[in-house]
Amino acid sequence: MLKLLAAALLACLSTAVLAAEPPITIAAPQTPWFGGFHHIVDEYQKDTGNTVHLEVSPFDGLLAKERAAVRSGQSPYAILIFQVQNFVEFYAGGFLQPLTAIDPKFRLDPQVYTFDDTVFWNPTTGRCERDGGILMSVPVNPNVPVLYYRADLYAQHHLPVPQTFDQLLANAKTLNAPPRIYGFVQRGDRGTLNIGWDFLPYLYGFGGDILGDQKQGDFKVVLNSPRALAALQFYVKLAHEAGHPNPASVTQAEVIQDLVTGRAAQAMITVAGAAQMDDPDKSAVVGKIAYAETPHAAGQVSEPPLGHWLGGIPHNLPADQQKAAMAFLAWFQTGKAQMDYARAGSPPVRRDVLTSSLANDPHFGWMRPLAESLQHARQPFFTKDAPGLAAVFDLKLNQALAGELTPAAALNQAAHAMEDILQKDGYKTGILPDLKE
Amino acid sequence: MTTAPRAIGLPVGRLPRQTRRRSSGEHLWRWGMMLPILALLIGMTLLPLCALLILSFSNVTWQNARPILTSAGLANFAALLHDSLFLASIRNTLVFAAAAVSIEIVLGLVLALALGAVRRGKDFYTTAFMLPILLPGIVIGAIWALMYNPDFGIVDASLGALGLPAHDWLGNPGTALGAIVAVDVWHWTPFCFLLLYAAVESLPTDVFEAARIDGASAWQRCRYIALPLLAPTILVVLAFRAIIAFKVFDEVYLLTSGGPGTTTEVVSLTIYRRFFVEDHAGSGAAMSIVAFLVLGAVTLAAMRMIRKRQAR
Repeated sequence: MLKLLAAALLACLSTAVLAAEPPITIAAPQTPWFGGFHHIVDEYQKDTGNTVHLEVSPFDGLLAKERAAVRSGQSPYAILIFQVQNFVEFYAGGFLQPLTAIDPKFRLDPQVYTFDDTVFWNPTTGRCERDGGILMSVPVNPNVPVLYYRADLYAQHHLPVPQTFDQLLANAKTLNAPPRIYGFVQRGDRGTLNIGWDFLPYLYGFGGDILGDQKQGDFKVVLNSPRALAALQFYVKLAHEAGHPNPASVTQAEVIQDLVTGRAAQAMITVAGAAQMDDPDKSAVVGKIAYAETPHAAGQVSEPPLGHWLGGIPHNLPADQQKAAMAFLAWFQTGKAQMDYARAGSPPVRRDVLTSSLANDPHFGWMRPLAESLQHARQPFFTKDAPGLAAVFDLKLNQALAGELTPAAALNQAAHAMEDILQKDGYKTGILPDLKE
Repeated sequence: MTTAPRAIGLPVGRLPRQTRRRSSGEHLWRWGMMLPILALLIGMTLLPLCALLILSFSNVTWQNARPILTSAGLANFAALLHDSLFLASIRNTLVFAAAAVSIEIVLGLVLALALGAVRRGKDFYTTAFMLPILLPGIVIGAIWALMYNPDFGIVDASLGALGLPAHDWLGNPGTALGAIVAVDVWHWTPFCFLLLYAAVESLPTDVFEAARIDGASAWQRCRYIALPLLAPTILVVLAFRAIIAFKVFDEVYLLTSGGPGTTTEVVSLTIYRRFFVEDHAGSGAAMSIVAFLVLGAVTLAAMRMIRKRQAR
C-alpha cells in the first residue's frame, strides 16, 4: 500500500516537474476529425507533461461559447478552434492576440498550409494578406470536400472515376437502386454553410462565385449569374435523378452514415469523414471506399471550397496562459505531431505529411486527393458578415432543393439579401441583374 | 374605511392623527414587504425587457473587443416585414400552436372524461399517462428522431409490417410539420389531461345523477353539463398551452432544425439563429419584441375570454 502511494506521489511530482506550462483549456468542435485531435492532445501531454483540457461542443454551441469567451473579462479558453467562416469576425473585432505579440520569434512552419492566407490579418487594410499581415492563428484542420466513391461498385460496373459533373451524374444513375442504395447522396440541410458548403464545389466547378474579388475589396454579389444557375440546376437534378428521396433534410452525419452502411454509392463531403470509412467498428464498407478530387463542368477546373479550422489565442487571457497556448500551437505544427495526427485519422495541415509515403498506404487513400485539392481550394468569404451571408445562402439553396423556390428565384433572393447585409455593414457591394425566373 | 369616521362623527377623509400615523406606518410596512418581490420583478423582468427594447432599436458592432451600439431607428422592425424566414416562422408557429394545442386539449379531455368513469386502477392510468411529460425535451427529440428514421425507425417498420411503404416523415416537406405536431401532442397531452382530470374529478355528481334520472343520455350529460362546467378549466389549459406552444424550440431544433426549406421554421429557432449564430443582436431583439407582443396579445385574449366566462 505504501509502495503504491509512493509511486503515485512520485508520478504526480514528476508530472509537475516535467510540466513547463500551466494547464490550459481548448474549446474544440464535435466534428468528424475530433478523434484525431483528441489523440494528439494526449500525445502532447505525454511529450511535455503539460496539461490540456478539452471542452468539446457541437458546431453552433461552440461559436456561441467562443463569442461569449472573448467578449467577457477573461476567456476561460486558452485556445479557440474556430471555423474559417468566423475568422474575420474574430480578427477584425480585436478578439484574438496576434501570435507574434505573444512570441515575437514564432513563425508558421513553411510546410504548413496558409489556406488562402486566412491565418494572416492586416488591420490597416482589413484584409487577409501575407505581406503586411500579422500571424493570427495556426491551422488545425484542412476541411476540404473530396469525392467518396465505392471502388468495388465502380469496378463491377466498369465506371471511370468522374472528372466532370456529367460523368458524375452518369455514374450516379448507373449505381442508383433505391431504397437499397442511392447513386449519390448530398448534404442538403441548412444551417450556416451546410448545404452551402456542399454546393460550393458545383458553383466553383461551373465557374460561378458568390462575391467579387474580396481580397481586393470587391464585394459585389455575383451569385445570381448564369453559371451559378447552371450549377444549382445541376445540383437539384443530381439530387432528384440519382439521390436521396428527401435531400433537403440530409445532414453531414447522415451522409457519412449512408456511406458507412453501404446506402450511398458516392458522396462529396469533408475529407475528415474518411477515418470512419475503414473503421471496422463503424463501417460495413471497409476497404471499399476510394477518393478523388471533386469533379467540374466541362472546360472548367475542380475548385473545392475551404472550410478549414484555425486555432487562435484570445486577447483576454493572462500572459502565462497565452504562453502555454503558444507552446501547444508550436508543438502542434511540428512534422512529428502532424504525422501522428494523420495516423490517428485526422487530415494534417502540413504539405510534407500529406505527400509523405503514408499517402501510398490504401488506408490513407484520401491524402493525395486532398493534397491536389488544396492547390486550388479557395475561401468563400472574407468578411465579418460571413455567418449572416452563409445563413442566407443555405436558406435559399435549401428552399430550392426542397422545391419551395425555383433555382433562379433562390439565387436572385439570396443575392439581394446578401447585398443588403453587405451594404448595411459598409462594404463596397452591388449586384448582377436578376436572373429570369 | 369611509364608514368608520362617519360613525364617530368625523368628516370623511379626515382621520385622527394617531390613526393617520398608524396608516402611513402600515403603508410603509406593506411597501417594505413588497420591496424584495418588486426588486426581483424589476431585476429579472423589466430590466432585461428594457435592454431588449434598446437593443431592438440599435445595431451592434465590435471594435477592439468592445461593443459599439449605433441607433438603427425602426430599421430592424421594418426589415422584419420583408424577412421571408421570420414571416414563415410566424406562420408556422401559429399553425403549429393551433394544431397541437387543439388536438392536445381534445385528447386530454377525452382521456380525463374516460378516466373519470373508470372505477379501478385510476392511479396506474394517471401515472402511465404522465410519463411523456416527465422526459426532458432533448430526450424526446432523440427518441422521436430514431422512431421517425426511415431506415430503421419503428414508425416505418410498423408501416412496413402492414405492407405500407416507408416514408421520410421529417425529411418530406409535406409531412415534416405534422410529424413535429405529433411529437408535441405525445409530449404535452398529459399536461392537458392532468389539469382537466382534476376538474372532472371535482364535478358535482348530484347534478349528473339528477340529469340521468331525468332521462338525459351520456352525450347530453357530457354536452350540456360536463362541458359547460369544465369550460373555465379548458380555457386556462388553452391559455397555458398556447403560450408554451408558441415558444416551441427543442423539438424542432432536434428533429428538423427548421427544414426542409422553411416548412418547420418556428419563431424561437429564428430568434436563436439570428442572435447566436448570425450574431445580429439588433434584428434578433426586434424579432423577440414582436414575438413578445404576439404572445402578449394571445395571453390577453385568453384572459379576457376566461374572465367573460367566469362573469357569466
